[in-house]
Amino acid sequence: MKKRERMMKDLEEDIREHIETETQDNIARGMSPEEAHYAAMRKFGNVMRVEEDTRDVWSFVWLEQFGQDIHYAFRMLRKSRGFTAVAVLTLALAIGATTAIFSVVYGVLLQPLPYTDSNRIMSVFEVNSGGTWSRVADPNFDDFRDQSRSFQSIAKYHADIASVSGASEPTRTTVAAVSPGFLKVLGVQPILGRDFGAGDAKKGAGPTVLVSYGYWRQYLGSSRDLAQSHLKIDGGLFSIVGVLPSGFRFPADVDLWLPADLDGENPSRTSHNYSVVGRLRDGTTVQQANLDISAIARRIHDTSSEQGDYLLKDGIVVPLQDAITGKARSSLLLLLGAVGFLLLVACANVANLLLAQASVRERELAIRSALGAARGRLVRQYFTEAFLLALLGGSLGVLGAFWGLAGLVALAPENLPRLESVSINIPVLVFALVLSTAVAAGLGAFIAARATSGELRKGLVEGGRGQAGLQGSQRVGRVIVAAQIAITLVLVVGAGLFGRSLMKVLEVNPGFRVDKIVTMDVSLPWVDDPKAKAGQAIFFSNLIDRLKQIPGVRKVGATSGLPMDGGLPDGMFLLMTQNEIPKTTDGFGPLLQQKERIGNADFCVATDGYFQVLEIPLIRGRIFDGRDGANSPHVAVISESLARERWPNQDPIGHTIEFGNMDGDLRLLTIVGIVGDTHEYGLDAPPRPTVYVDLLQRPHAAITLTMLSDADMRSVASAARGILQNLNPEVAAKFQTFSQVYSTSLGSRRFNVILIGFFGITALLLATAGVFGVMAYSVSRRTREIGVRVALGAAPSGILRMILGQGLRTIFIGVAIGIAASLALTRTVQSLLFGVTATDPVTFGGVTLLLVGAALLACYIPARRATKVDPMVALRHE
Amino acid sequence: MSTKEQRERIELLQGTLDLLILRTLVRGPVHGHAIAKAIEFNSDDVLQVEQGSLYPALHRLIKRKWISVEEGTSENNRRAKFYRLTAAGRRQLAAETSKWDKMAGAIARILRPAEQEGE
Repeated sequence: MKKRERMMKDLEEDIREHIETETQDNIARGMSPEEAHYAAMRKFGNVMRVEEDTRDVWSFVWLEQFGQDIHYAFRMLRKSRGFTAVAVLTLALAIGATTAIFSVVYGVLLQPLPYTDSNRIMSVFEVNSGGTWSRVADPNFDDFRDQSRSFQSIAKYHADIASVSGASEPTRTTVAAVSPGFLKVLGVQPILGRDFGAGDAKKGAGPTVLVSYGYWRQYLGSSRDLAQSHLKIDGGLFSIVGVLPSGFRFPADVDLWLPADLDGENPSRTSHNYSVVGRLRDGTTVQQANLDISAIARRIHDTSSEQGDYLLKDGIVVPLQDAITGKARSSLLLLLGAVGFLLLVACANVANLLLAQASVRERELAIRSALGAARGRLVRQYFTEAFLLALLGGSLGVLGAFWGLAGLVALAPENLPRLESVSINIPVLVFALVLSTAVAAGLGAFIAARATSGELRKGLVEGGRGQAGLQGSQRVGRVIVAAQIAITLVLVVGAGLFGRSLMKVLEVNPGFRVDKIVTMDVSLPWVDDPKAKAGQAIFFSNLIDRLKQIPGVRKVGATSGLPMDGGLPDGMFLLMTQNEIPKTTDGFGPLLQQKERIGNADFCVATDGYFQVLEIPLIRGRIFDGRDGANSPHVAVISESLARERWPNQDPIGHTIEFGNMDGDLRLLTIVGIVGDTHEYGLDAPPRPTVYVDLLQRPHAAITLTMLSDADMRSVASAARGILQNLNPEVAAKFQTFSQVYSTSLGSRRFNVILIGFFGITALLLATAGVFGVMAYSVSRRTREIGVRVALGAAPSGILRMILGQGLRTIFIGVAIGIAASLALTRTVQSLLFGVTATDPVTFGGVTLLLVGAALLACYIPARRATKVDPMVALRHE
Repeated sequence: MSTKEQRERIELLQGTLDLLILRTLVRGPVHGHAIAKAIEFNSDDVLQVEQGSLYPALHRLIKRKWISVEEGTSENNRRAKFYRLTAAGRRQLAAETSKWDKMAGAIARILRPAEQEGE
């Protein structure tokens, strides 16, 4: 400011001096002083304006020019509305899609967990001999807790569904059993009441429970007097001691937390029942914690009496966030990569549009340049226009992302963790802004470099004749189109591979029927007492009989684990005869060392009706029937794959096995039948060998009833609810159709296919439009040349060949690069494919044909137009 | 052939004034009035520079550090501001001159294509 004032004072002096000198000169030429002064003033011009202009020099001119640039850019964009609309919409689509996908990636993978210093919270796993991670057995957890020096606090937890009553209505609620210190690990304190103390966790202590904020509001009427409230959870009466803060639901969906091990710990080192979290001590790194836990785990491995495949071999510590999002990571990053490709294709289209637009404006620019516009100013003009386009596109895209995100969340597979934390929030908006800016900078730099490279100046020299017209620009245009084709090919190949994987998955015979089955989840309290267990068996038997009476229900079955709904427990069974049975499970250790005696299978509790409802075929022998009462010899039905694996070239029927380590009942099971395999863990996972036992002989507390019904789910559900209410008003049920369960299991595959397919198709349309644009533009620029050729006798077919040939060259270069890139990139997604290799020739061939076909069509239309050129008109043109 | 009197005086293209000022300063520091005179004289009075417009241009060049300003005494012994070409200004002059030559040639070729081809 000071400088400006000084300069302005100097200017005044200068002007005075100037006019004085001029006046003196005029007097010297013989004018009268008055006349001389007047002439000098006239010659000088408007003093006010000169001062004004000079003042501008010292003010923030760039700001003013920026305003002019924007004004001018707006005028340009308004003038060519079609161009603007196409460019803005293309950018909006790409930026919107990228923003929407990024919001999911951010919410699931990047956003820190909502706990204090959440990066200090770790998950601890056992590593078994196969290298897979599993949950932690009680004595192993105790050793981790007592021997490790890496954690401030460490706790175990296990969530399960329980029937809860005592509040305003009975519910099926997810309940977590947690060890003391659980809340300390997560850094959470009750907003009302207290945390668990040491006394709450003691064996035989009065049962206490913590409730979630949501449960407290909904079912406990936000009562501040907790002492009055008791909840009946799986039959036990619990006093509510605290309410946890709103939003805290860890592990996912939990509403109630109770102390673990109220009935004492499970002494087995191979019963992997608990997840473990710990908060690192200040200054301890993840690596140090890993060394620490690993050393303890190996010590356990070396000293334990329970050797075998189920004993841990090592231990591992990973950040809790990674543990939660682990499986989703690769799939989400894949989607982010795919949408990034779409963004590139879209930007390429806009770059081509800008290039065409620039050559239309070449004369305007040449003239501006000739009239003294500095190169910098022109470059800035281009950047301003690119920014305007990208910001318009970006804003529109963000609006679209709000809408698109709703669709994404609705479409997202149920097993996608942390979906509730996905939203368009500040970091996502910042991302969108940065992305738009980057797009603008890229496009601006590209077009400014092209347009002021001097090539356009030649435009002025070549005048309006526009025949050869910007060979360079056209070459750049073709390079862009080839790149577009290459990227599109990668995307569409990806979509094709995932699509074909989904089709292959759907071709797999699941091994059971899916339609017309209503499922009903019911859980009773877990009990150990054999009498109480028998009572539960009778309860279920009664329930099944009554459900059969519902109009429209044809058959009813029950199982401890519905296929594709979370899986079954697995373990080692023993081939044994009656007189070999040990008195307790402790005697199993030595027997488990004898390789010829052991087998490995999933353990499923079921009824005869289960096989009938799901139409799991009987291969040989029989399924459960009236002979198999609670006191008759216990029987088992095994799956075909188990028969094949464990009894090759033998008939398993009649053999007896010991599988009491699964449910504590040591009575032997006689194999009476073999049934077909089921894809218990999803169509894309191989069937697991399975042992089925009879629900009436081996009761199980948590059961899914299956009803084959012609009536719709709602009417069956309401009738079934009434029946259950009658039998036991404290038990709640959850109803679904089996189709829902089944289709959920395909959710993440479908999610990938739909999204990548959508990106692929969009990219294909954009690339086709890109090819069309460049070819049409090229033909229009060559109208005169083509006219000359026709005048000289070229046949239309020759012209067609010439134009198509030019297009084909571009297409083939793009396709070749695309195939090479696909071969390199699809390898990385091999693990997500099913039934096709990453280099599937059918997919590659089909996609190449599709792309070449679409691109050729896009070339053909302008090429046809070229053959219609009338030489007379073309030559007179301009 | 037209005579000098018949020629119209033409207005300067925007941006060219800067170039002319830089050129004028090559021979050494000059004060404002003298710059105006020199441009008029050297262009045979064809270029019509409204003398006042010189000053915003001078200040623009100062701001870009292509010229500097210093106190001095004019030929008739008056105190005056002298403008001096800086090293950066000298480089700018060279670049702008060659740019101008290309531009002028190009415009000439457009405007008189026949003469060009005829040569």
